[in-house]
Amino acid sequence: MFVLPPPPRYPSQAAYNLAVQNGQAAPMIETNNILSHPTGPEYQLVVGEGTYTLKDDLHLATPPPHPSEAPIVNPNPLATTPQPATAGTKLSLLSLSSRSSPPFLYRVGTNQSTRSNLNSSIQEHPGEGRASGDQFPSSSDGGDTSATGSAKATLSIGSAPAFGEGNTFLSATGKDTGKRRKPKNNIAKSNSSFISRCIVHENLAKRLQDRPAEGYFAFANINRAFQWIDIASPQKAEHLTKILFTKGHCLCHDINQVTKSQSHIDLIMGFSTGEIIWYEPISQKYTRLNKNGLINATPVSEIRWIPGSENLFLAAHMDGSLVVYDKEKEDFPFSPDEHNSPTNDNSETANGKGDSSTKLHIDKSVHSKNQKTNPVSFWKLSNQRVNAFAFSPDNRHIAVVSEDGVLRIIDYLKEELLDLFSSYYGGLLCVCWSPDGKYVLTGGQDDLVSIWSVAEAMIVARCQGHQSWVTAVCFDPWRCDDRNYRFGSVGEDCRLLLWDFSVGMLHKPKTSSVRQRGSISSRLANPLQRAETSNTTASKLRSNSVVSVDGEYEHMIQHDVEPRATTATLPPVMSKVIDPDPLCWLEFTEESIITSCKSGHIRTWDRPRDSSDSDVISSST
Amino acid sequence: MSPGVTSPSKGKKDAEPEPEITPLVKMLQHAGPIRNDGSDKFYGMENFGNTCYCNSIVQALYYSVPFREHVVKYPPHSPYDTPNGHPPIVTPIRAPIQNGAAVSPTGKPKGISAAEAMKRRAAVNAGQPVSAQAGQKPEDKPDSPEYKKKHAMLAGPILELTYENASSYGMEESTFTALKDIFMALIANNSRTGVLSPQRFLEIFKRDNEMFRTSMHQDAHEFYGLVLNAVISNVEANFHRLKEQDPPRDDHSLALSMKAAVTSAATAMGLASGTRSPGTGWVHDIFEGVLTSETKCLTCETASQRDETFLDLSIDLEEHSSVTSCLRKFSAEEMLCERNKFHCDNCGGLQEAEKRMKIKRLPKILALHLKRFKYTEDMTRLQKLFHRVVYPYHLRMFNTTDDAEDPDRLYELYAVVVHIGGNAYHGHYVSVIKTQDRGWLLFDDEMVEPVDKSYVRNFFGDKPGQACAYVLFYQETTVEAMRREMEAEGPTEVVSATKQQETANGHPQPNGTYPASVSKPAFASSPEETREFVSLDHAVSSPLPMSNHTIPRILPSATSPQVPILDAARVKTKEAKEREKRELKEAEKSRKVAEKERQKAEEQKRKEAMQTRKDLLKSQDAEVRKALAASKHSAAEEEERRKREVNSSASTSETGKENGHAEKGFARGLSRAHKGSKSMSRKSFGFLGSKYGEAKTHADDTNTAVEGDSGPQTPEKHSKSTKDRFSFSGLGRKKSNLI
Repeated sequence: MFVLPPPPRYPSQAAYNLAVQNGQAAPMIETNNILSHPTGPEYQLVVGEGTYTLKDDLHLATPPPHPSEAPIVNPNPLATTPQPATAGTKLSLLSLSSRSSPPFLYRVGTNQSTRSNLNSSIQEHPGEGRASGDQFPSSSDGGDTSATGSAKATLSIGSAPAFGEGNTFLSATGKDTGKRRKPKNNIAKSNSSFISRCIVHENLAKRLQDRPAEGYFAFANINRAFQWIDIASPQKAEHLTKILFTKGHCLCHDINQVTKSQSHIDLIMGFSTGEIIWYEPISQKYTRLNKNGLINATPVSEIRWIPGSENLFLAAHMDGSLVVYDKEKEDFPFSPDEHNSPTNDNSETANGKGDSSTKLHIDKSVHSKNQKTNPVSFWKLSNQRVNAFAFSPDNRHIAVVSEDGVLRIIDYLKEELLDLFSSYYGGLLCVCWSPDGKYVLTGGQDDLVSIWSVAEAMIVARCQGHQSWVTAVCFDPWRCDDRNYRFGSVGEDCRLLLWDFSVGMLHKPKTSSVRQRGSISSRLANPLQRAETSNTTASKLRSNSVVSVDGEYEHMIQHDVEPRATTATLPPVMSKVIDPDPLCWLEFTEESIITSCKSGHIRTWDRPRDSSDSDVISSST
Repeated sequence: MSPGVTSPSKGKKDAEPEPEITPLVKMLQHAGPIRNDGSDKFYGMENFGNTCYCNSIVQALYYSVPFREHVVKYPPHSPYDTPNGHPPIVTPIRAPIQNGAAVSPTGKPKGISAAEAMKRRAAVNAGQPVSAQAGQKPEDKPDSPEYKKKHAMLAGPILELTYENASSYGMEESTFTALKDIFMALIANNSRTGVLSPQRFLEIFKRDNEMFRTSMHQDAHEFYGLVLNAVISNVEANFHRLKEQDPPRDDHSLALSMKAAVTSAATAMGLASGTRSPGTGWVHDIFEGVLTSETKCLTCETASQRDETFLDLSIDLEEHSSVTSCLRKFSAEEMLCERNKFHCDNCGGLQEAEKRMKIKRLPKILALHLKRFKYTEDMTRLQKLFHRVVYPYHLRMFNTTDDAEDPDRLYELYAVVVHIGGNAYHGHYVSVIKTQDRGWLLFDDEMVEPVDKSYVRNFFGDKPGQACAYVLFYQETTVEAMRREMEAEGPTEVVSATKQQETANGHPQPNGTYPASVSKPAFASSPEETREFVSLDHAVSSPLPMSNHTIPRILPSATSPQVPILDAARVKTKEAKEREKRELKEAEKSRKVAEKERQKAEEQKRKEAMQTRKDLLKSQDAEVRKALAASKHSAAEEEERRKREVNSSASTSETGKENGHAEKGFARGLSRAHKGSKSMSRKSFGFLGSKYGEAKTHADDTNTAVEGDSGPQTPEKHSKSTKDRFSFSGLGRKKSNLI
């Protein structure tokens, strides 16, 4: 098996095509992933607790253009045609063992969700949604819980009710229980115009059998390809499965942590064409949802399974809508008008005018009686593109960030918008929750990572250190306790930054100068006072906005931007260029930090070896 | 966007229905009545051969709302008494070419015949390299920019700005009046779309700036700075001239308005430094900010502060960074050491020092010049940096001083001047501009096309095609305005997203091919055509990359069959030649005039340069002059207060002085060396000028004027010679004040 050099990154695909035409370069054929082990001081991250070292760099092969694509030679830089959405390589990590789940930090008492006064006690439950939350026996093959009903799943997640609980129509599809249902179509034998081809590793079954149970699988998108990789395996460069699509690029994907098992993995992918694929990699079956954009034709920027649900997942479309789909339901053409039955106080339509952004428009509620078909629910946040969202550890809230620089905290169980914060400036690109659910991190086009306190409804600190836009943020649950938090961020500046922040620090006097002139303070509200008012239930339940004459505060849930002079800033504990290309994703595992970049480099940074065990803050389990 | 609509049925398009509706016309179909503030005029601008630097900047200035409004309003009292306070504008309209004898739509006098227009155009484009084979010309392809530009010319109306209206403004003809002519013509015309031919403006500008007289590719940022400075000095000169000439005439109101200008300027400045010139308050108000440089001598620990004004910030770039971060670096601490030591007044002599630049006052319009052109190691050539530098739609400045007013001011991006091309010596400029209520538009010479908001992000520098943002224009805004706008823009965003979806669906290529549909003409991309496109628009007569095509426009024989412009042009080459000759004569004349002026200016400049050098050596000298300026300033203010009193001695002496120097934008007297922005920018242009003088192989001896101004030739030397006053390293054109 020979290995071709990676495709040239710059000056672009077009120049390459030209070179091919002129015979200067060999035509690009399907290439292989490349695994390398660079060493040296530039591949080490020195932090207080020790030195992280690069374990390896897996470069995913960028697939050549689909044959149906005409070669593009020197595309006109001024072409005004809108370009399809693309995204850098992102990973969905999957561990089938419960060993590597992060320490549970989400506890009774620390919970601040009294604001959503549905119930006040929330029991311990699995923390992070993604690489964690393995509280279900991984060997369980579904059994009777597979009856799709989110109501059933409720039982497993403590006292937080399941999404759409109480709506009997929602669980109506569950007919036969027993085996976990698989998607309908075989991907390897597909004649779909959407899927170009599917390359399965020849020894897939054997490799699946031989691997250690605790190792991570990774699912990664690159360009029009989607790869399944066993990153615990020494031969991780050889993908387990690679799917090539024709039209769409996979922009986001997620694994269902409830249904995963040795024999079953539920994976969803969102595409640049707006379509969604439910894919089961072990049986190589798939089902297309939102086919041809029947429900929403705009690209999917983020997609996640609803925590605790077997069937329901939430997709963020780029027109600013959040849509809940059921993986097993048929699509039905959706137009908001037909279903526009406000079931919530806040859902009254503003006729597309005025303060539409300060409300959650429920175009279809999860409590709607019509639940035979997709979508299950359809919320419209604004007309601005949603860039990312994250589920809170208490399985009650979602934090949504969008291109207009707005962070929304939504109680998705009640379908209610709680808070609306603004970035310092520019769009927000990424968001995550602290493991205990107290804080939300956002990163955006102001080059800042911002820490928001959900309970106090205010900004806690702005973290300065990136030299370009921040594309991903993530907490390190292994280095967090109830007072100290470690998180990491990556950005377009190709840098990985690590940050430590502790609750004690927050009450320190502000680091920035507070010298102000009268003209400024007159424009600012008293932040504390505003936080208080917005915390009261009464103000949240106001159905109509308060439009003051000067237009300063349109709505109580909307929080103004804090000036720089009164906001704490936090410096990073580590900052390093770790990749030649802009980074777009990171995740912490027990052993390592994993990062990925726009051109497909997946880098694994091992945690400090010596004394690392003593350093790691002991978990509460 | 409704597909059923057919023709725009605009009154003046009766000549011949266009073959297709351009996206711009389509967008404007259901626009209401035309506004009289000019905010709904979308004109392309004719390219006279490498004048895209002018077109892109003038378009950006036109859509700088406060600037446009002030240009239109100034001078407050024109000799003409018209309802709007504007003199009546009669803009000759070049007829559309299809029906040779052309309609003259609104009964306005026709400038020149269509044929002649085409000849002229052909003439000015003579000498451009042409790679088109006969019969296969780029403008024949319906999707090419050439085709679109041609059809923009065909559709018209073409506003022929060959006249000058300066006398009607009561001003001498200058860059300012020519710019005002352009703005007024756009506002006065009752078509929303068309093409404007900024002929006179360019003539005047080239008259005053010899570096721009060649038909070579020019630096748009340099042009921007020169135009702004010319506007400032023109307005200033006019102010003094008016004051001197006929103080009694409209004494009261004039003085009032002037006072308003001065006081607003002074308060905005918040400084009593006297760096403000009277009468031009509005230009400063809009574009001028104040930088504070804090320098701390490492020997005696004395910290000194100096305020400097700026009209734009030139920022150094780094790979994979953001504008935010580049601005931060701009204000990062900097060591003055080795050859760049600091002259400490306290301990005397050159010392190592720490320097830091922060912004003390934020301008209303913040122009950011991304320094994409950088000298190669051997300092012989400028190379272009293709760094990926991201810029957000909104911005706040981190590098303000603690006492800055409103340090959290929010800016929104409203114009991006894009440079396309591989280096500094050839290429093409276009601008992408956010209009008041029509979203973002692409202005590519004659062509205007609506684009997606996301289109603005195509010029970070990493996309193929070598198109990079070069100058970013941010204007102040409020959070409320931003929110309102975002809610309003939503629906179009959705539309574009759907369009995007359609593209993706209809075309199996995810990475940008362009469907050729009638309603949405796009760019074809066959290899030969793109090559033509490149050579046509980008390479033009630059000697470096195209040695076989460097025929200067003086050789009219080079025009005939190869001229890639329009068919009509090719037929009538004789006339074209004649036209060319005539033009040459004219140019010769104006050159002679300019030469005289230049000599005058040179004289001035030499004196001044000497003075400048003296200044640099003797700091006390500066203090004396500072005091002088302060006294003069106070005298001026006093004069305002006693506005009824005619000919106060202070004012006459001042105006007399000023007038002597300010005759031409180029001349500059000693007294004006105080004026921050100007001396700052003059310096920077000297810097640039020398850069160009070095770079351009056939730069003629007229360069000496500029070089004389800037002193040393290379930036390195320059910075050395001024090291105790300014630091160039890493700061580019931020300049101190010559205090």
